[in-house]
Amino acid sequence: MALLDVGGVTKRFAGLTALDNVDLKVEAGSVHSIIGPNGAGKSTLLNVLTGSIKPDRGSVVFDGHGLVPLQPYEINQLGVARVFQSPEIFPELSLLDNVMVATFAARDGSYKLNLFEHPSRAGELRQFAEEVLVDVGLEEHLTMPAKHLSRGDKRRLELAVCLAHRPRLLLLDEPTAGMSQTETHSTVELLRKISATGMTKIIIEHDMEVVFSLSSRITVLHQGRVIADGPPAQIREDEAVQEAYLGGVHL
Amino acid sequence: MIAQLRNASPRREAVFMAVAAVILIALPWIMPYIGGYRELATRILIWGIFALGFDILVGFTGYLSFGHAAFWGIGAYCSGYYLLHANANALVAILIGVAVATAVAILLGYLTLRRHGIYFAILTLAFAEMFYYAALAPLQDWTGGDNGLTGIRTPELFGVKLDGDEMHYFVAAWTLLAIYFARRIARSPFGLMLRAIKSNETRLQSTGVNVYRYKVTAFAISGLYAGLAGTLYALYETYVPTESLHWTTSGEVVIMSVIGGFGTLIGPMIGAGIVLYLENVLSASTEQWLLIQGLIFMFFVIFLPGGVMEGLQRLADWGRKRHESATEAEARGAAPKGASAPTAPLRQRSQKG
Repeated sequence: MALLDVGGVTKRFAGLTALDNVDLKVEAGSVHSIIGPNGAGKSTLLNVLTGSIKPDRGSVVFDGHGLVPLQPYEINQLGVARVFQSPEIFPELSLLDNVMVATFAARDGSYKLNLFEHPSRAGELRQFAEEVLVDVGLEEHLTMPAKHLSRGDKRRLELAVCLAHRPRLLLLDEPTAGMSQTETHSTVELLRKISATGMTKIIIEHDMEVVFSLSSRITVLHQGRVIADGPPAQIREDEAVQEAYLGGVHL
Repeated sequence: MIAQLRNASPRREAVFMAVAAVILIALPWIMPYIGGYRELATRILIWGIFALGFDILVGFTGYLSFGHAAFWGIGAYCSGYYLLHANANALVAILIGVAVATAVAILLGYLTLRRHGIYFAILTLAFAEMFYYAALAPLQDWTGGDNGLTGIRTPELFGVKLDGDEMHYFVAAWTLLAIYFARRIARSPFGLMLRAIKSNETRLQSTGVNVYRYKVTAFAISGLYAGLAGTLYALYETYVPTESLHWTTSGEVVIMSVIGGFGTLIGPMIGAGIVLYLENVLSASTEQWLLIQGLIFMFFVIFLPGGVMEGLQRLADWGRKRHESATEAEARGAAPKGASAPTAPLRQRSQKG
């Protein structure tokens, strides 16, 4: 059974059909890319998966749980984490505190009235948070406010915040957008490293080199509809994809 | 500032609380020397508790309320009513006032925290004004209407009448407790969640945290502090004026917090001290002291938005820099004449790093 099963999801915004009867199955352990031209509905689909947009029709089932009626924090607690298109971090908090928020949320659940817990009690969590930061390549300036990081490093930090929760499904919205070639390269390496742990991932990406080097399966969206779905080799040869999305240019 | 607070060791914390205790208890003896009066010290501590709790909501969580007069006033009226009609027991009076104020804060928190920013501020203001007008006319049989609650007996603690110095010690003890718990909260995982709310709610939602419940809790805690301060005010004044529910009470605590410095806990308390002290000193010499208060407020908003605490921080930074450059110059001057050339730049570099 698929880890994530999206069935017949439709979402309309004031006359515009952003998602039109979208089906998507994501197998556990796979790296599933969603590609498509701008406005194809990729980000809307991610918003539906994380609960920030409710679909007009259709179902989203993650590991046996229906996600549509749930709040974003409940979906995250089930094990779905998201890296946003422009990095969403806590700019005023230190790097370490950014990750500590996630480790506390993982330990305490969505709410706990632990008003008087002394920071010394969180030694183990702190160590874990530091390890996660090292994993994403941020081992320096742990007490510096996160707003001083470069854009690429903010993305790494956001990734660390997501990973600290040990998610089972990681959603990445254009993880290499706005990055230099070196940054892109190191991000891809990082994502590969995470894939080695068997974490399931959904990636939205424009950089085809990144898509084809990472993905085990690709779904192509066009005007809110799924026009192709299959392993990378099949997508590369698909006539409809080349016509609609790539404008007939061979990859 | 907060980062320092979080890393404080138990011993440093004990020293901090001891110093705070000495200052709080000594305040009535200092006041007459600087143009105040003994009871002004008690008044400052009561408003300090109010401002301290307010900072947990505004300074930490980032939600500016203009309706905290509601909790201050409800606390004051409830404990005043108890003292007037039931008994002189100070602890029971406080318990009743705080319990009712906190319960109302939880309810209002649930209603108002569905909105952000200006809409939240206006909702809190509107609710507080409702309580004010309710106290003025429909509930005047209980609240005394325009006159407020007058003729409240002097409260007692285990048979001791709380008056003058005894009242000050009583309030100082509550203030110490309030400071201690606020600092514990600031350092706890809960405090971290509040700062995360202020920083980025979207990220916090996506990190599995029920942001709304944390906000309601922060609101309730600040309401509890406001309620405690209000009850102490009623005990101290043995009188509850209708102004305690008026929006100017909410405005006053905002002004104190801005002057002291939001998000620093101790800053708003210092702000309360400055505002009340200036009010006392200036109102003796001029009727236009509100104008002067306005100018001071504007000065802080424009030049020192972080309040007195930011000013102190800047002074400390400036002092350290001066000290550093002085020792650097000294080191350079003291270097032996025959020293090899590369040592000086090396030393400089190591000092910068």
